Amino acid sequence: MTETSIAAAADRLLEAHATGVPCAPVRDLIGPDDAYTVQRRLTERWLAEGRRPVGRKTGLTSPAVQRQLGADSPGFGTLWADTAVPDGAEIPAGSVLQGHAQAEVALVLERDLPHERTTAADLIRATAFALPAIEVAGSRVRDWDVALADTVADNASSGMYVLGNRPVPLDRVDLRLCGMVLERRGEQVSTGTGAACLGHPLNAALWLAGTLARAGEPLRAGDTVLTGALGPMVAAVPGDVLEARIEGLGDVRVAFAKEDS
Amino acid sequence: MSDAEALADRLETAARDVRAIPKLTGAADLDVADAYTVQRTVIDRRLARGERLAGVKMGFTSRAKMIQMGVHDVIWGLLTDAMLVESRIDTGRLIHPRIEPEIAYLIGRPVRSPADVDAAVAGVAVGFEVLDSRYEDFAFTLPDVIADNASAAGYGVGAWHQPRDVSNVGMLMEIDGRAVQTGSSAAILGDPMRSLRAAARLCGQAGIALEPGHVVLAGAATAAVPLPAGAHVRVTASGLGSVEVTT
Repeated sequence: MTETSIAAAADRLLEAHATGVPCAPVRDLIGPDDAYTVQRRLTERWLAEGRRPVGRKTGLTSPAVQRQLGADSPGFGTLWADTAVPDGAEIPAGSVLQGHAQAEVALVLERDLPHERTTAADLIRATAFALPAIEVAGSRVRDWDVALADTVADNASSGMYVLGNRPVPLDRVDLRLCGMVLERRGEQVSTGTGAACLGHPLNAALWLAGTLARAGEPLRAGDTVLTGALGPMVAAVPGDVLEARIEGLGDVRVAFAKEDS
Repeated sequence: MSDAEALADRLETAARDVRAIPKLTGAADLDVADAYTVQRTVIDRRLARGERLAGVKMGFTSRAKMIQMGVHDVIWGLLTDAMLVESRIDTGRLIHPRIEPEIAYLIGRPVRSPADVDAAVAGVAVGFEVLDSRYEDFAFTLPDVIADNASAAGYGVGAWHQPRDVSNVGMLMEIDGRAVQTGSSAAILGDPMRSLRAAARLCGQAGIALEPGHVVLAGAATAAVPLPAGAHVRVTASGLGSVEVTT
């Protein structure tokens, strides 16, 4: 019964991913407790298809979003190499379903984080550098009609992401109080700061490291970690050019192809 | 318009009695120019009672707020020395106070033209503003809020720093040690410096001189939050330290 539901939920999301046609929510099939099991099915399928995992993203890191979805903790998803786009590149039309952009701090690791109780010292020692990032979240679920179970099952509503090109060591930036501004064609659409992400982006990464270690799939050297939004997310419309500037980390930009091109 | 003195009476009475009043525009025909006349009338009375002009505050400096209010320019209010909060403010003297994180500029030289203002800045600081609309439910039209001195009630500033780029500094407001608002100074017209230049332009048009020692509150980096009694509030800005107030 549960197995059937989990398989059906995974199939629904996988089909939406493959066809580019958003699907109905999956919360009619599964509860929040089953959502990571569904996400794992997606991961297994995509690994079998030869996709390369390159890290993890945290989601649900702001109290406002947690309240909205009735979540009492953050969530995570997997980053894939084919969802990473270069700074300034254009994302082809249709490659992110119902894209929404948010500026984030990305961390790149140079050591494994295998401990179930990862400390701040472990994390800081393991972090090679930070980068500014724009995450273009997407939802396989039609109209972003998501409850907690839907977004977790759907690989934490992951889409694509772009990283800045200048690495910054952690001792050169105040990730708690760095200002963030996101602009659409020069017009400000979102502002925020590092404290919006669980109080500090490293707090989100710590949660992620411990959670993954307990799940038996810890963060590894070389992994990219998207720590979570620094301000409100904004809809990404075809033809948009978005630029994020994060104080002390620099800037990063991404474009969205027009639908007819 | 209705008699500015009579409208000023109503606003003063509301503040003195700590009792909200209906919007002025509910009964009076008030446009923006009239509203600034009412604002000036209230301030002139305070100055006549011995308060000194301490600077100006800018309002509606975020795009979201401008869209919400259907306006295309900032508004402004006047600060007096009696509004300066050292470390404590009595919320019992206020109707329904709110607090918001601000960037503040210190004027070091007389500003006679908007072109003077960049060179006239002597310092920049993190600040807070306490708002207390004299209107019921904190609800008003544009002329109402202008007449009400842009809801100004009090302000505080942290240590002054040498003038610097504060176009995108992270800001955090905590009440009793818990974060209640986070944001960036970029929410203030994209750069608080733009708000300062607007202040110089509007003051020039209104015949108000920005003088050495005056403070310009450039605007809020986040939405305001209710200011409870018995609370400790701290506003921190990247590179500018923090400023605190207890209620």
